[in-house]
Amino acid sequence: MTISPDSIVYWQWGGFTLNATIVFTWLVMALLTLGSWLVTRRLSEGPELSRWQNLLEVLVVGIRDQIAQVSHQQPGPYLPFVGTLFLFIAVANLLNVIPGYMAPTGSLSTTTALAICVFVAVPVFGIASKGAGQYLQHYIKPTPLMLPFNVIGEISRTVALAVRLYGNIMSGTVIVAILLSLTPYFFPVVMQLLGLLTGMIQAYIFAILAMVYIASATSVQERDEPDEQQQTPRSEH
Amino acid sequence: MEIDWITVSAQVVNFLILVWLLKRFLYQPVIRAMDRREQKIRNRMDEANSREQEAINEKQSYQQKLASFEQEREDLLEETRQEARQTRSQMLDQAREETARVRSHWMREVSEEKTAFIDGLRHQSLDVVETVIRKALQDLADERLEERIAHTFVRQLHALDDTTRETMGRSAEPATIATSFELDPAQRSTLTRAVHELVGAELTVNYTRAPELICGIELTCESQRISWNLSDYLEELTASIEKAFEPLETTGPGA
Repeated sequence: MTISPDSIVYWQWGGFTLNATIVFTWLVMALLTLGSWLVTRRLSEGPELSRWQNLLEVLVVGIRDQIAQVSHQQPGPYLPFVGTLFLFIAVANLLNVIPGYMAPTGSLSTTTALAICVFVAVPVFGIASKGAGQYLQHYIKPTPLMLPFNVIGEISRTVALAVRLYGNIMSGTVIVAILLSLTPYFFPVVMQLLGLLTGMIQAYIFAILAMVYIASATSVQERDEPDEQQQTPRSEH
Repeated sequence: MEIDWITVSAQVVNFLILVWLLKRFLYQPVIRAMDRREQKIRNRMDEANSREQEAINEKQSYQQKLASFEQEREDLLEETRQEARQTRSQMLDQAREETARVRSHWMREVSEEKTAFIDGLRHQSLDVVETVIRKALQDLADERLEERIAHTFVRQLHALDDTTRETMGRSAEPATIATSFELDPAQRSTLTRAVHELVGAELTVNYTRAPELICGIELTCESQRISWNLSDYLEELTASIEKAFEPLETTGPGA
């Protein structure tokens, strides 16, 4: 039984192996990009909307509202990063219902890569928002004694991000695989549905946690006026 | 639980590419479209608001115009009413004046007519009375009556006052005795004698006929006149008749 799509290698050249994780990641990327492009190349600016445009607008507005709600900041700068995290993980998980597909999020490599992205994005956004000096100061708060704990916390939460997503998706796949051998026909389908739910929830959790981490790094001085920002979350892009 | 670090780095790159792709193809176009739509809606709302404001202004201006029209109409009506009242009173006054004028004119005519009628009546009655009396006296006139007349005339000469008598006596002109009837010579000498005795001895006396003196006799000398005849009586009668008609003239129909 294959646990990780990493181990399915389609093509190898030198040190680079083209495994199922990368291939299915590309598939998801292609799907998202193509779908977006098909819809957004003919965008309506009037009151009449195509259904697909409506769907995309609902998605984008929903993500923006979530970001604004969590961060109490303007969602504009964070939308591409956090929104892509959510969309990528959600689509990657949803496609699990297709036979033969293996979610790239079931690979620890993918989740680690995403967690690393978050790990890097947090200081990047923090420094961009507050400046390097002020950002780095928060590692020695409330006292310099806390520095190691802050660093450990930073790393451990990144690891937790990666492992949580990986564990959930991988376990879903594994459970379905095991159940298929024990009670075929009906029960695995229920578990598959449960897996869809789990996949959506994990996508949401991952994106929200990433946003929380970023917000905690950026919003110290902006916490004073959350209400005002919450009232106008869509006025910036 | 193995991590393939090559795959990890590939996935990081993949993810960053996906971020860029979605930003390029999803977030930016969708947000731009939504913003433009919102802008359009806002513009339309602004336009609608401005139009509404315009409409309200227009409405207010029309209401003001209407009110001023109403006011003007009311003023005009009031003016017209005033004029009508004025004209009415003027016309009434004119009518009153006209009536009064017509009335006074009529009254004058009536009174003139009445006067004329009364005059006519008087003259006619006088004429009748005179004619009747003349006729009666002419019928009655005979020698005896003429004698009585001469006798009465002599009595009058007796009753003359001294001034008249002297004035007539000094006259160089002859005295003229006019009668309505023919005097016989005896009567003439009686009269001449009476004149000589009572008025002046040197007076020459001529005799003439004067039928207009009804049954009368008249002595004229030096613008003095002594007479007895029925004309005097008739004149007195006329005077008394006119006196009798006077109250009728003064009391008009309007009185």
